[in-house]
Formats: sequence, structure tokens, C-alpha cells
Amino acid sequence: MSSFELPLVVFTVLAQAAVGTVLVSSLRQHATAGPAGEVRKEWTAALAVLALGLAASLLHLGHPLGAPTALKHLGAAWLSREVAGTGLFLVLAAAGAYTARQKVGAGLAWAACLVGLLALFSMGMTYAPPSFPALNNALPALFFLLTALVLGAGLAARFTPEAGQPLVRAILGTSLVVSLVAHLAAPCIWLSGSTVMAATGQAWIASPLYWGRIVIGLAVPLLVLARTRSVPNWLFVLLLAGELLGRMVFFAATVHTAANLGGLY
Amino acid sequence: MKKQLAFYVDAERCIGCFTCAMACKNQYHQENGVVWRNVYDLKDGVYPHRERAFYSLACNHCENPTCLNVCPVQAYTKREEDGIVVHHQDKCIGCGNCIRSCPYGAPRYNPVAKRAEKCSMCWQRIDQGLKPACVQACPVEALRLVDLAELDQTGLTRFPPGFPRFPELNPSVRFRAPRQPKFVRREGV
Repeated sequence: MSSFELPLVVFTVLAQAAVGTVLVSSLRQHATAGPAGEVRKEWTAALAVLALGLAASLLHLGHPLGAPTALKHLGAAWLSREVAGTGLFLVLAAAGAYTARQKVGAGLAWAACLVGLLALFSMGMTYAPPSFPALNNALPALFFLLTALVLGAGLAARFTPEAGQPLVRAILGTSLVVSLVAHLAAPCIWLSGSTVMAATGQAWIASPLYWGRIVIGLAVPLLVLARTRSVPNWLFVLLLAGELLGRMVFFAATVHTAANLGGLY
Repeated sequence: MKKQLAFYVDAERCIGCFTCAMACKNQYHQENGVVWRNVYDLKDGVYPHRERAFYSLACNHCENPTCLNVCPVQAYTKREEDGIVVHHQDKCIGCGNCIRSCPYGAPRYNPVAKRAEKCSMCWQRIDQGLKPACVQACPVEALRLVDLAELDQTGLTRFPPGFPRFPELNPSVRFRAPRQPKFVRREGV
């Protein structure tokens, strides 16, 4: 996509981290037995991360004061739906953080999860336009879901009691393995595609950021998990760095069809 | 079929002089680096000859425009009377979603206005009975304005090699393919 689009990198990664944190927290509270953990702090952290992401998203607009008008095209534009979904998720996350006692109410928690997943799907559709043949499919939604699970589990681990650690560790480990396979396989598959798709595969594989993401954000955390019984608090920093690098590759190294006008598509 | 104005790109006639692109620049004085119309040299994989061939391309005013569909603030409209896709820059908030999403790279970012912009097909000129600036300027009549509802499309193509194929968008542009060069060989040499 030719530039790093840093505000969008920060927004998408942090918003997905917030959705993932709420997902993992809700699963731990309502789908398993045992103590719920520091739920209020956990949802407040998710809220803060999301608020930071939303603030960053304004920086990519030429006219940030016009941001509320981005809700005008809900009937067709996935970007409008993304804005609406993320805004509603913010409200539900705030309500959860405010009303949490031992746990967040089950109805509110599952509603936040559902709205968060819908917002995540809208993000996936927004970044899957026809102009990027390599991403004009379900891959952005898959990548974003994996980011949510990896960062969500990494952040939720800080607020999870000892008894809940195996669940969080299992979610993080599985997500890391799936993400590693998906991120290694996707560019290799693109290499056998059309001209623009193959160029995307070559650009990703040639990017040091891509390999930084594979090593820092996926391989090293998997090795750490293999050697520990719980998720260390500092691991979240590594996971976040990896996801940010990965998202920079996503925006900067994906080739646009217009880059090869006059040549084979 | 409803009236749909379209550009007719005659690659057999085009000599790659860039007069169309310059005429557009003269008409609208876009900021440096902002280009609404450009002339693309056909690459070797598409036209493997020592002679060169060109496509002059701008916004295709698609029947189902991606820019219009993805714009969150409804800054794009499609005119009922002739199918021209108009960008209303005053509504644009500069999110860049149309720029990322159009597979033909038609919308461009204006770094001064901090908003997107694109070829308007010179609808103001058309409303006055004039031709678009690029069409009027072409010295070899390789770029023409046509109505797809009336155009005899025999011998024309929608998606020639070198032009991305997106039938679901149905871009309003038709091409005449470039002439294949003749090879003259002497017998017995």
C-alpha cells in the first residue's frame, strides 16, 4: 500500500488487542470455573488501549473534525460499519469496566464479545478491497482475529489468577502457532498467483519487517511459552512489537493493482 | 441501457504524446504530484515489440464504483443523467479509503487540501456542451467521449492486457487494441 500508514497500524492493532482482551476475559469468567481475576482492571486496560487506538486513528484523517460523518454510509461502506462497531464496543467495554464487581455481567460480557467480533470482521472487510488482489479475500479478517487473540491473551494474562493461567496459555499458544503458519504460508501462496499478487508475496518476503514480525512476534514468544508454565508479564511487549511490525508490512508491502497499469495484472 | 458516458481509448492511434495529461493539468492546475490522467507505456509482457503502445487512463466512471461504495462520508455520487462519478471534495475528510480501494488508482490524495480528488470527466464542460479537456486536446483523436448505450462496440474490448479486469465494477472505458507491427523479411537471406 506504499506507506506505513502508522496511525492505521496503531489503531488496528490496539483496537484488536482490546477486542481480544475482552474475549479472553469473558471466556475465563463465564466459560470456566475458578476465580475470575482482576476483571475491573482488565476491562479498564482494554478500554485504555482502545481509546489510545481511536485517538491514533484520527491522525490519519486529513480533517479529523469530520470523523463523526464517517457513520453516514452504514448501508454500503465497511469503513462506516467499522467505525460504528468500534464505537459501540467502546461503550460496552466502558460499561463492563464500570459495572464490574467480581465479574462482568454475563449478558454484557457476551454482548461486548459479539460486537467486538463484528467490528473486527468489518475491519477485515475494510482492508480487503479489490485493489489488493493478495488481500481481496478473508485473509485480513483472519490476520486481525489472530492479532486479537494473541494480544488479548497476552494482556489478559496480567490480570489472570494462577488457576486461570492454563486457559490463557492455551489460547495464546494455539493462536501463535496458527498465526505463524498463516503468516509463513500466505506470501508463499501469493508467489504462485497473478503478477500483482506474486509481487506482493515477493515484497513481503523481502521485507526485514516481515521477518522481524515472524521472529519477535511469533517464534520467540512460542519458545518462551514452551519453557514456562504461565505467561510472563513482559511477553506482552514482545507480542505487541511483533504485531506492530506485522501490520506495517501489511500496509507498506502489499502491492496495489494500479502499480502495474500497462503490465500484466 | 441508460446513458453512460465513457472514454474510448484508441491504442492504435495513440502516440504517447501526453497532451491529454497536460490538458488535464492545464484545466485544473492540480498540486504537484497529483495526476488525474496519465499515459501508460504497455510493458514487454503485454506488447513485446520494439514499437511502443500506450493507454491514456483516468477515472473510469464505473457502473458500480468502488470509490462510491467504500466512502464512509458519501462524498461520491453517480449522476443519473450520464453516469459520471462525481467527487464532492467539500464532504471528503481525507481518510484515503477510496485511494486504497480503487483498483485503477483513480482517486489521488491532495496534500494541500488534505482530501482526495479525481477526474471529473469535466462534467462542467460537458454540461456546457463542450468536450472534456483531455478529449479536446488529443491531436490524433485517440481519446474520445462516447455513450456506451449507443456505441457500436464491434472490435472494441473492455479489458485488454495491461488493464486490470474487474467485471463487477464494469468500468466505463472501451479500448481499441494497438496495431501489431508488421515484419518484412526478404526471402533467402
